[in-house]
Amino acid sequence: MTLLPRPLRAVVLVVLLLLVLFPVAYMLFASVSSDLSVAAGHFWPDRFDLGNYGRIWSTTPLGRGLANSIVVAGAVAVLCAFVSLLSAYVLVRFAFRGRLSVLRGLLALQSVPGTLLLLPVFVLFSSTATLLGIQVIGTRWALFLTYLTFALPFSTWVMVTYLRGLPRELDEAARVDGASSWTVLVRIVLPLSRPGLVVAAIFAFLLGWNDVLFASVLTDPQTRTAAVALQVFGSTQEGGAIPVYGQLMAAALICAVPVVALYLIFQRYLLSGLTSGGVK
Amino acid sequence: MTDVKTQPPATTRVAGAPVRAGRRHRPLWMLIPGALLTLVVIVIPLLTAAYISLTDLDQYTIREWIRSPFAGIGNYTEALTDSPLLHAVAVSAGYAAIVTVITLPIGVAAALATQDKFRGRGLVRSIFLIPYVLPAFVVGTVWRVILQPDGVVDGWLGTDRTLWLNGPKSFWALIIVQTWASWPLIYLLAVSGLQAVDPDVHEAAALDGAGWWAKLWHVIFPYLRGPVSLALVIAFLHNVNNFTLPFVLFGIPAPHDVETLPVLTYVESFQNFRFGLSAAMAVLSLLLVAVPIVAYLRAVRLTTGEES
Repeated sequence: MTLLPRPLRAVVLVVLLLLVLFPVAYMLFASVSSDLSVAAGHFWPDRFDLGNYGRIWSTTPLGRGLANSIVVAGAVAVLCAFVSLLSAYVLVRFAFRGRLSVLRGLLALQSVPGTLLLLPVFVLFSSTATLLGIQVIGTRWALFLTYLTFALPFSTWVMVTYLRGLPRELDEAARVDGASSWTVLVRIVLPLSRPGLVVAAIFAFLLGWNDVLFASVLTDPQTRTAAVALQVFGSTQEGGAIPVYGQLMAAALICAVPVVALYLIFQRYLLSGLTSGGVK
Repeated sequence: MTDVKTQPPATTRVAGAPVRAGRRHRPLWMLIPGALLTLVVIVIPLLTAAYISLTDLDQYTIREWIRSPFAGIGNYTEALTDSPLLHAVAVSAGYAAIVTVITLPIGVAAALATQDKFRGRGLVRSIFLIPYVLPAFVVGTVWRVILQPDGVVDGWLGTDRTLWLNGPKSFWALIIVQTWASWPLIYLLAVSGLQAVDPDVHEAAALDGAGWWAKLWHVIFPYLRGPVSLALVIAFLHNVNNFTLPFVLFGIPAPHDVETLPVLTYVESFQNFRFGLSAAMAVLSLLLVAVPIVAYLRAVRLTTGEES
């Protein structure tokens, strides 16, 4: 079906493509230009120098940040997908009192502002040091626990939507045959729900990778994530004589690549997950 | 709601034995890991936030926070009468509403334009999602350089050392960048709405000789109303709760004109160390998102109803 007249469609497409690509192209161009050219406000690069991509590693602790981000977000992704599967399996296949409230809670929890939880989480995590002698603030565990929990509502919702689409005959037959719930879940439901698990895991990964709010408070310079490393790097550029814009843009690009790659590889799955869950 | 219906009522089962076995074997323990995490990292902190908002907690009492002096509703009255809270609410709600309104026609137009098949459509669709895919901290970092005084935007506009990141223009800088980053959400949900359009109805309208605008208005847009209103609510919530973009774009302390609610709450805690006041602000900010959350829950209830 033709929804827009062809000339209008062409205009819409061209304008939107230009708008979307301008900052992306700018990031690429600036990362290979000289800092003076960026500071002077030139869009096109004055040279093609990949040196910024080499220098960046010694200027900032970006490498350590990336490693921390990968470890934390990766662990969150795997565990979150599994915990979501456990909850979603029960929510979809078994009736119990309060099931509706749980489902509604999953949606409501996604909208709780992070800033409301930041302070109490910080205070509670600090008290484990005074009360139990366990230092949580500043460790990767603090981020891991926080991200894992915050990612659960959406991931569980994704899994609930996914499991609803699976024929229940398969696992019910196994249950009638006397298989335990655990066996049914691990042997039958888990292999069948792989696409759903991938979506749940990727969204959990992205939550950890993209967060600045909690990472800026719960980490120390050793455990900083890439997001905080880039933010700190960016905000310290103003004071200096000539900001190293090229390196900053190279660092930004490096932080974006894993996320964009994940999206492109799993695009089809992710879009169905997005529209069925209805939320980012 | 229909979730109950997905489970056939026990009485309709033929034999009694499997039902009893099914009841006995409900593996409710599988809910424990998720419930435990939610309790420890969300529910208890929410209650703690409510408690802290009633105390005079500051950097000196933080170690023994349970024993910090009780302040009653003092923090709330201070937040409402003698703090930048109301200004921050106005900034947050204003910018969130403006961005939501601007992104609506952009997202719908993009969805309409990519509906017809053409060469390279897959590529265009992937590119359209880039702003949404990029982490907010990357978007903020890049636009911070783009919008700097004498930066590339200044060069193109032919202006001199414009302060986009400070002063009154910063409000519009925030709107521009957030619009750039968030319109694909509307686009995505509009695309999913278009998939429900019945091609026959559309063809029939075309045969009747209806113009393209009349067809859009009378035939297509009714299909979009549901998904797009859901998108509007979600977009508003995302904008209001967005901390990362203003934080990275402007730094802290934020310029007065872009001191949004999340940034203000953050600054009050981790720059000014007025923890009690900050908690009161955070609790009050729940009121701002409560209305859209309720609207959202109602909208989604309808969609789950259709699914099962």
